[in-house]
Amino acid sequence: MKPKVAFFDFASCEGCELQVADLEEELLDLIEIVEVVSFREIMKEHSNNYDIAIVEGSIIRPIDEKRLKKIRRIAKTLVAFGACATIGGVNKIRNPWQPEEVIKEVYGDIDFKDNEFFNVSKAKAVDEVVKVDYYIYGCPPPREEIKKVIIALVMGKKPDIPNYPVCVECKKNENICLFELGKFCLGPIARAGCNAICPTNGRACDGCRGILSEPDTKCVEDILKRYNLTYEEMKHRFTIFNYTLEEDR
Amino acid sequence: MNREDWADFINNLINNSTYEVIGVKAKGKRFIFAPLESADELRLDYDTTILPPKKYFLPQYENLLSFDLSKQSVNIEMKEEKRIIIGVHPYDIIALQQMDKVYFDTYIDRFYKIRRENTIIIGSNILNVSERSFATSMKAHTVTSGYDLMVTDIGSSIIIEIGTERGKKLMERYATNITDATEAEIKKIEEIVESIESKDRKLKVDKENIPNLLKRNYEHPIWRELSEKCLQCSSCTIVCPTCYCFDIRDEVSLDLQGKRIRTWDGCLLPDFTRIASGEVFRKDKTERFRHRFYRKGLYIPERYNFIACIGCGRCSIACIPDIAGPFNVINKIAEDSEETRGEIIFEIPVTRGGEEETAYIPRNGIIRRIEKLTEFEKLFEIELEDSIDFNYQPGQFVEVSILGVGEAPISISSPPIKKGSFELVVRRVGNVTNKLHTLREGDKIGIRGPFGRGFDVKKFEGKNLIFVAGGIGIIPMRSLISFILDDSNRDRYGIVTILYGSKTPRDILFMDEIKEWEKKEDVIVKLTVDTCPEGICWDGCIGLVTSLFPEVKWQDIENTVAIVIGPPVMYKFVIKCLDTIGVKEENIYVSLERRMKCGIGKCGHCQINGIYVCKEGPVFNYTEIKDLPEAFE
Repeated sequence: MKPKVAFFDFASCEGCELQVADLEEELLDLIEIVEVVSFREIMKEHSNNYDIAIVEGSIIRPIDEKRLKKIRRIAKTLVAFGACATIGGVNKIRNPWQPEEVIKEVYGDIDFKDNEFFNVSKAKAVDEVVKVDYYIYGCPPPREEIKKVIIALVMGKKPDIPNYPVCVECKKNENICLFELGKFCLGPIARAGCNAICPTNGRACDGCRGILSEPDTKCVEDILKRYNLTYEEMKHRFTIFNYTLEEDR
Repeated sequence: MNREDWADFINNLINNSTYEVIGVKAKGKRFIFAPLESADELRLDYDTTILPPKKYFLPQYENLLSFDLSKQSVNIEMKEEKRIIIGVHPYDIIALQQMDKVYFDTYIDRFYKIRRENTIIIGSNILNVSERSFATSMKAHTVTSGYDLMVTDIGSSIIIEIGTERGKKLMERYATNITDATEAEIKKIEEIVESIESKDRKLKVDKENIPNLLKRNYEHPIWRELSEKCLQCSSCTIVCPTCYCFDIRDEVSLDLQGKRIRTWDGCLLPDFTRIASGEVFRKDKTERFRHRFYRKGLYIPERYNFIACIGCGRCSIACIPDIAGPFNVINKIAEDSEETRGEIIFEIPVTRGGEEETAYIPRNGIIRRIEKLTEFEKLFEIELEDSIDFNYQPGQFVEVSILGVGEAPISISSPPIKKGSFELVVRRVGNVTNKLHTLREGDKIGIRGPFGRGFDVKKFEGKNLIFVAGGIGIIPMRSLISFILDDSNRDRYGIVTILYGSKTPRDILFMDEIKEWEKKEDVIVKLTVDTCPEGICWDGCIGLVTSLFPEVKWQDIENTVAIVIGPPVMYKFVIKCLDTIGVKEENIYVSLERRMKCGIGKCGHCQINGIYVCKEGPVFNYTEIKDLPEAFE
C-alpha cells in the first residue's frame, strides 16, 4: 500500500509546494511511490484520509492553530516544509510589532474586529504549535531534498538532513569566501543542505535553513573587525529568516 | 624549453592527448585547480589554490556503488579517468605522498589507487609564496620525488626536470625543441628556492619536535582560548591537503535508483563522532578543536611517521575567526615549552595486518533465521552467498549494509565454532538497525568484514575468566563465552564467572542460554537488574552490576582474566571493583563502542585520541588505553 500524502499551506508564498509541482516528469515517479490525496496547487480533489502531512507556512492566527492541530491528529507523520514552517522565516520579521499595528500598516483603518481571518497572533514555526516529525528546510527547499525526504519516509528511514554548516558545502564547491569579498555571510553557522547555492552564486547566505549554533560575542566582534564589516550588516542577515534569535536575546 | 614551446606542449596535451588536462587557473583573486582549455589559462605564478589537488584523488563526492532498489541489484563501475595535473606545488606533492601511506595502509583503497595510477603529476616550484605559508619550516617547499615532471618558470625559459619514465615519455611525445638547461639556468632555480625560504614564515621549533611539544601540552590553555572562537564550520579540514576523513551515505531517487556516496567529513563538526543511539564521543568543541591539532601533529606521526601538515597555510586563510592556523598555535606553545601542561602518553597497539584491496563492496548475506529476543533486540542468523570462508575471532564486528539505508557496525554474537553461518544480535536504534528489524527470513543484506581486533582466545587458556556485561555488552561477549564453554574448548579454561546487569528483567538477553551455562561445572552466573517494574517476577539482585562483586567468593585471582563490556559509564566503576578484588590491570580486557563507519582505519570517526577502535579495537587490553583521555569519560 502506498502511503497517502497531503500537502497543506499556511502563511507562506506557496513557493515550496511549487518546488514539488516543478518536479515535472519526476512527479510520475512520485505518484508511483506515494498517493497524493490533497495538494491544492496542482489538484482539485481533497481527502482527509492521509498518512503523511507536508505542511508549508508559518502559523499566524488562532484559526490556523486549530486547523494545524486537526492535521496533526490525522497524520501519522507530519513534515514541516520550508523556511516559514520550519523556523518561522520571514513571517517572524513582524513579531516585534503588535498585531494591530501590523494590520493597520497593511490595511489602513479598516475595522476587522470580529473577523477571525484577521485575528492575528505572533508568527510561529509549525513546531511551536504541534509536534513535527521531520523537517524540509530552505526558502525554497531544494528539490533534491524534497525527494530525499519523501523517499526516506516511504522506505521507513529517518531522512538524512545535514546538521553541519553551509561552509562545508561552499568550501567543497571551491568558492572564494564571501567574507574575503567583504560580505557578511551566515555560511559558517547556517544549516547546509542547499549545496551552498547562494554563496556559490556570489550572494551571502541568509540562513534560510536555520542557525546551528550561535557564536560567542567576542568572536563576532573580532570577525566584524577583521573583515571590516558592520554590526548592522550582520543584524540584517540574521533578521531575514532568523528573527527569533534576536527576540530571544 | 622556451615559453612558446612550453605553451605548445600544454596545448598539445590539451588538444591531442587522451588525458584530461588540469592546471592552476585564476578564480577572482584566488586560484584553483581546474580543467584547462588553453595554455594561456595556466598560472604557474600562483601562491596557493583554494582546494588542494586532493580533490582529483579523493573527490568531494564520489560514487562507491550504484543500485536499483526495485531489483535489489548492485552495479559497481570504476571509471579510469586519465589525467594530467599541471602546477602542483612541492607541499601538495608531499601531501599526496602522505595520503598514499593512509590509503595504501593494510586495506588498499581501490578508488584512490586507480586515480593515483592514472594521474600524471607535473609539479611546479613555488614562484610566489602565500602570505600564510610556512612550508619551509615543514620541509615541504621543495621535493625530490612524487612527480613525473617538475617545472620551474625562471622567466626567460621554462626548466623541466624529469621525475619518471612516464614523464619523460610524455615530453618525447608532446613537446618539441627541448634543450639541456644551462648551469646559469639551474642556478636560477636555486635562487628561486632560496627566495621561498627567505619569504616563508618560520616556526620557532623544528618540525621534528612538534610531536613532543604536543605530548606535553594536552591541557594547554590555548585549546580553550582559541576554540571559544571556533565557529565549528570545519572549513580548516575541508581545505586541508592532508585531511582524509570521509563519511559514506546512501542516496535514493524517486525512481528507486540509488548511490552509495563517499564525501569529505570534518572532525570539527559536532556530529562527527555521533553514533546511532545518539551518543557523541567528542562533545565539547575544545576537544574537537584540539583533536585536529593532535591528529596532525601527534597521532598521525606516531602511526605513519610523518607530520600531517605541510605548511601550505590554507586552513589559516579559510578560517574566518583566524584561529585554525598551526603556525601561530605551535609557536605559542613553543614559547612556554619548558612547562608541561597535561601529558599524553599513547602507543598504538600492534595489530596483525596483511594487505588487501578494498572497494567497500559488501558480500551478499542471506538471513536464514530471525528470533525476537526482546522488544528491541532481534537475532539474525546470516549465511554468506559466496563460498569464501568467513573466519573471525570473538569480539570482531561486521559492517551490515542495507541498500538505500546505509551501513552499521554490528558485533558478531555467535562463537566461531559453527561453520557456514554466524549470528548478529541487533538492537533497533538507528536507520540501518530499524530497517533490519523489518526484514524477513530469506531476505538479503550486505556484509563487509569481519573487522577489528577480537579476543585472543589462546591467551586466555589456563586462566579463570570473569565476564562483566552491562546491557547489550552481553552481545559480543556471548561469542566468547559460548566459545569457551563449548565442550571442545572447556577443559582449556578455568573457572568462569559471569556478572550481567540489565535495565529490567525484560531486557535480559539469552536467558535460555544463561540457564544452560549455569548448569556447567565451574561456572558461576550472577544477574542483576537496575529496576523491576511492577507485575514482573524477578528473584535476582536489584542494583548495578558492581553490586554483584561481593556476592562471589573469588579464588585464585592471580590467575584470572576479566572481560568487561558495557555502556561507556560502566567501565570506570567495574574496573575499580576488579582492582579491589585483586585483578591486575594487564589482565583486564574491554571492548569499546565508537562510530565505526569504514571499518578499516581510514574514515577517522572512531578514533580514541590516536587509536582506531575499528582497527586496533574494539577489544583492548585495559593497559593499552587506560591513559588515553578520550577512552573512558
